[in-house]
Amino acid sequence: MLKITNLHASVAGNEILKGLNLELKAGEVHAIMGPNGAGKSTLGNVLAGREGYEVTQGEIIFNGKNLLELEPEERACEGVFLAFQYPVEIPGVNNTYFLRAALNAQRKYRGEEILDSVAFLRLVREKLKVLHIGDELLHRAVNEGFSGGEKKRNEIFQMAVLEPALAILDETDSGLDIDALKTVAEGVNRLRSKDRGMIVVTHYQRLLDYIVPDKVHVLADGKLVATGGAELALKLEEQGYAWLEDGGITPLDSQPAVPTARP
Amino acid sequence: MSELSLHLAASLPDNGGIRPEWLKDLREAGAAQFRAHGLPTRKDEAWKYTGLGALGQAEVQLATGLELPLSGKLSPSPLAESVLQINLLDGQILSLTGDSPAGVTVLPLADALNHGIKGLQELLESLPDKNHKSPSANGFSALNSATLDSGVVIHAAAGTDAGRLTFTWSTSPGEKPMLFNSRICVLLEAGAKLELLEQFESPDDNTNTSNIVLQAELGEAAVLQHIRFQQETEGAVLITRTEVSQQANSEYAYFGFDLGGGLVRHDLHTSLLGDGAKSGLNGAYLLDGNRHVDNHARVDHFAPGGVSMQYFRGVAGGSGKAVFNTAVCVHPGADGTEARQSNANILLSARAEIDTKPELEIYADEVIASHGATVGQLDELAVFYMRSRGLSEQDARQLLTTAFCKSVSDKLADPLLGEVISQRMMDVMPQAE
Repeated sequence: MLKITNLHASVAGNEILKGLNLELKAGEVHAIMGPNGAGKSTLGNVLAGREGYEVTQGEIIFNGKNLLELEPEERACEGVFLAFQYPVEIPGVNNTYFLRAALNAQRKYRGEEILDSVAFLRLVREKLKVLHIGDELLHRAVNEGFSGGEKKRNEIFQMAVLEPALAILDETDSGLDIDALKTVAEGVNRLRSKDRGMIVVTHYQRLLDYIVPDKVHVLADGKLVATGGAELALKLEEQGYAWLEDGGITPLDSQPAVPTARP
Repeated sequence: MSELSLHLAASLPDNGGIRPEWLKDLREAGAAQFRAHGLPTRKDEAWKYTGLGALGQAEVQLATGLELPLSGKLSPSPLAESVLQINLLDGQILSLTGDSPAGVTVLPLADALNHGIKGLQELLESLPDKNHKSPSANGFSALNSATLDSGVVIHAAAGTDAGRLTFTWSTSPGEKPMLFNSRICVLLEAGAKLELLEQFESPDDNTNTSNIVLQAELGEAAVLQHIRFQQETEGAVLITRTEVSQQANSEYAYFGFDLGGGLVRHDLHTSLLGDGAKSGLNGAYLLDGNRHVDNHARVDHFAPGGVSMQYFRGVAGGSGKAVFNTAVCVHPGADGTEARQSNANILLSARAEIDTKPELEIYADEVIASHGATVGQLDELAVFYMRSRGLSEQDARQLLTTAFCKSVSDKLADPLLGEVISQRMMDVMPQAE
């Protein structure tokens, strides 16, 4: 589904990603962990196509397409979804209106029928039920005045409605208390499916107690330096990120099964 | 004085046959002031950013005592339903449909003058302000008084709820561009309520000038909601002045939407004369092409415990130019006043211009006041956020600018009208360059 090869990316002239390789298959959930400043958020922003994130080398192939050639909205229409670390407040734009406009833009792109407001509301109610989210968020402006937990739930709700092929969750756990974290994780788990790939970017292992990944990657200094199963996250929790500098645990190249395949 | 002022002064009508006597005196006083000082110029501080070159070049003619053909003229379809609708064409009443509720009198100005409506004479005589420090800045009001004969008077008896009255204003293209004067007087007695919806929209493009003065007097605890929606044609010149005086505990809520017009100037002034009066002034202006829209808002707090809130939003694209001036003066004795001013603007092109200036003077105690004026660009992170969900860049920008202005229409008490207006704003929203 997604193949990232030798990705180098800079922000304001500073190289942040320095040769990242990653391959994700449909149905898989990969966690990317790493210390602050490792480039975790940069990866999400590069995948979504944010301006100012300049790719200087490498390629990203998504379902056979060169993702880097697409505009952000084309990527969304192809099925890429970034759950923002800091969801943006948009005063005056109604949450429901926005989401319907977005969904219909995507449907139009794919040559599908446009949903009228009745059909859309039916869909929305269905999704809310599945996610156990109340409808109070629907009537408000996009993220405006939302609490941290509400913002993150709204991201998951958008994801549920837009049904992306690839979801990137950028530090979705940051700023959440344990109850909000559980709600959000539960929502994500309900959206796991054999057709959908997910990349869960997080600083803490805590989130992975609730969203159990198929693979865990460690990102440090712009590269994936270790890959393992869910147990790798526990080890990180125990030992912290300091071991990266100490060379404390098994380095990447001694694990032949890692998915950071070279082209 | 400019050539245009001299030419207009020379066409002022003769007042020989005007009765009653006080009206004749009023027109004479207006004419005398206009002959002495003429129209405003850029030397007047309040007109520094707005020139009247467009009127001079068009050789606009002063309209006096027009006979209107009553058939075959179109008025814009109203934005909302109302109990009474008055269509005005070229400053004159074209039609009046609906019934006035009990206790509410709606009359053409000429009839009202002979009807002895209480307070009308005093209200009319309060303009133009003879003590104004810069008489030429008041030139349009002087001209309006000098030709005073057409318009509408609304009187609501104590405690009545008049519901919504709609005025549609339009002008028709003729051989030469004309300058039309008209006057609206609103007298609300204690506890009376009225919603006044003014809609300026000409069916055909023209280069006429409309000079319209609205005066409103709010008795104790009276409530006036005033919605002014203008989507005039590209060549039209619209000069309007709204003068409101408020007695104790009265409420004035203004909502102005400028979507059109070639040259637009609105002077909006409210005086809080009685204790605990409230004033909410809200507006949105959207400009592109070569349009010029100038809003001057002023609130005078004369009594204790008054509240005034100003909330204006502007978007300028193309070579549009917006002027926004908001002034609040808290006079001695107006203790415990709360006055807030907020004006934010978005520039969508490098050629567009917005001049915004908040002014605040306080001569009283225990006053809460805040003011903010900003000019900026769209939030690029919000644009990206919307694009990352699938919206095209153009749609994202349009949605954001509309939302910015919609924050004004969302404040309307009638959500349906708010929706209609926000849709109209979206339709004319300038594009980013």
